[in-house]
Amino acid sequence: MTRNRENNRSRRSKVEVTPFQIMDCALIVRITDQLPALNLREFRERVADCPFDSIYHHFCETVIRPSFDDPEFHNDFARWARRALHDHVLAERLEIINPYEFADLEELRKVVLDILDDRLSEIHFIPWALHNRQFFFHSATTVIFDTSLTIDSPEHLCTAISQMTTGSLYYHFWEARRRTPEHTDDFTEWLRGWDGEGARMIKALSKIDFYYMSLRELQRTLVELSDKICGNGARP
Amino acid sequence: MRSLREYEKIVGTAVLNQLEQLAGNLTGLKVVHVNSTKSGGGVAEILAWMIPFMQELGIETAWEVIKGDGTFFNVTKTFHNGLQGQPVNLLPSQIKAYEQTSAENAERLRPILEAADMVFVHDPQPAFLLRLCPNRQGTWIWRCHIDASHPSRSVWKYLRPLLEGYDASIFSMAEFSKSLPHPQFLIAPSIDPLSEKNIELKQREKNEIRNRFSLDPKRPILTQISRYDRFKDPLGVIEGYRLIRKFTPVQLVLAGGGADDDPEGAEVLRQVEEAAAGDPDIHVLSLPADAHLTINALQRLSDIIIQKSTREGFGLTVTEGLWKGKPVIGGDVGGIRLQVINYHTGFLVNSPEGMSQRVRYLLNHQNMMQIMGIKGREFVRENFLLTRHLREYLTLMVGLRRGFTDRLIAAA
Repeated sequence: MTRNRENNRSRRSKVEVTPFQIMDCALIVRITDQLPALNLREFRERVADCPFDSIYHHFCETVIRPSFDDPEFHNDFARWARRALHDHVLAERLEIINPYEFADLEELRKVVLDILDDRLSEIHFIPWALHNRQFFFHSATTVIFDTSLTIDSPEHLCTAISQMTTGSLYYHFWEARRRTPEHTDDFTEWLRGWDGEGARMIKALSKIDFYYMSLRELQRTLVELSDKICGNGARP
Repeated sequence: MRSLREYEKIVGTAVLNQLEQLAGNLTGLKVVHVNSTKSGGGVAEILAWMIPFMQELGIETAWEVIKGDGTFFNVTKTFHNGLQGQPVNLLPSQIKAYEQTSAENAERLRPILEAADMVFVHDPQPAFLLRLCPNRQGTWIWRCHIDASHPSRSVWKYLRPLLEGYDASIFSMAEFSKSLPHPQFLIAPSIDPLSEKNIELKQREKNEIRNRFSLDPKRPILTQISRYDRFKDPLGVIEGYRLIRKFTPVQLVLAGGGADDDPEGAEVLRQVEEAAAGDPDIHVLSLPADAHLTINALQRLSDIIIQKSTREGFGLTVTEGLWKGKPVIGGDVGGIRLQVINYHTGFLVNSPEGMSQRVRYLLNHQNMMQIMGIKGREFVRENFLLTRHLREYLTLMVGLRRGFTDRLIAAA
């Protein structure tokens, strides 16, 4: 991750760009005080007043917690609707929600509630889960720390990303959307300061359908893209 | 003694750096773990690596084991069974024996427990120590390794007020948690990929075990490794095996040992031996607690790993099987559900019939077995190795020290 000036093909813009600081994070998941839901009506009530952190966790943090990367469902609400309530229609409607489309979590909650209310109005019985398949509302604390590593120029993105932990990838690509002004990833924010390959890389990053990727899949995609666009043949 | 750096080849440098950075926030902390046995069972196995690694990361960590006689461990086994839902009746004389032995242990352990910054008490056996350390300085965390979702009323009525006194608790799954008036965290356990139980073996070593137990190399082997415990349903496994045998000449290995804190094992083993009597293809093995290499070889020699539990905390034997690239057929309970994903890493079953159906399906789809094996190993690498487990403990400890919010910025 040291800078090779001779191979630096990206041109800096007029503003001096500070190196990209690689951060890392780790999660500890907590059970909220919310009672578990045993049927769809209870679930609707709990979603209506569960903490925002819980909604965020069940939509956005599923990718980082220790669990199987379910190829079918990417949020816990959809997964529960399918696996516990066996309501395929509801599961599909919930699964299609992209949580990053919304300005804030209250808006996301409203959309989820709309879908639940629609479904409750359509069906003639309330789907129940088995007693051992209740929905538990979780939230998580993210501990963030600086790795002391930096990326000096886009040429070094490829190597740096290939060596990142899933925690770093999550922090810079997923969690970033919660805190950056334009709800984008940290690489995009940093690359704005670079012309040439930097701009091309931003365009490529914006096309990644990351929500349907595991963190390892995302890592492979980012390594390939950064090697192709900004690489200097130093791909690991 | 292994160093954490020896895991670099398996998990990568960055993962180890991550642990060091997190641990840097815990300098000067005094931590004590308390459980009820030094060997036998998943908890002792976890603590055997966790303590030295926490020490290596610069955290002053001690492991204390409570001592007791047969009466005491009969009572704690009643707790264990009761917490896992078996109807039990807790007698006043049992409570007296439990509290008496806990008091004896407290006399010995009180100075170190009261001085610690964090005390992790594993399972119900040592839980009463909290009441016996009135001058405790630190944060006390109850770590529940078992499925306590539907405990027996009499056991829970006694234990609940004890557990309410803790500052936090940790469960392997949300489904195992109970309504308690303190924060409850989720941490799944893990395996050590470099331990004798999981390390790669040479073909010669596997052959030696195959010959020792007279296993036929030409016929498929199904293996369930677990303590002889009713909740592991070894009799149900034999029933499932008999259904398979109507179609395929498989061999069954049931292997397990006892643990110091499990007085019922001998009786369950006797019943299993009785059920298997007369069938040379059922190998019922009672192994010593340190037979890790033997267990490792048996798992690697197997075609399919079975873990047909009817109640399960997490099921580390499932993790071990997946790590060895084997599909797992497991009971649709507890932590097995976190690990066995239908059509991806194995199958979840609910009966001997279900077990037999899935085994026959897999034996007739060898390609799927291979794909499942690859997926299972990667799944464990990402999620259930000790480095992830350690990371979550460190994250929890940083949170407990600093106070929980949704985001915490730690020192580099």
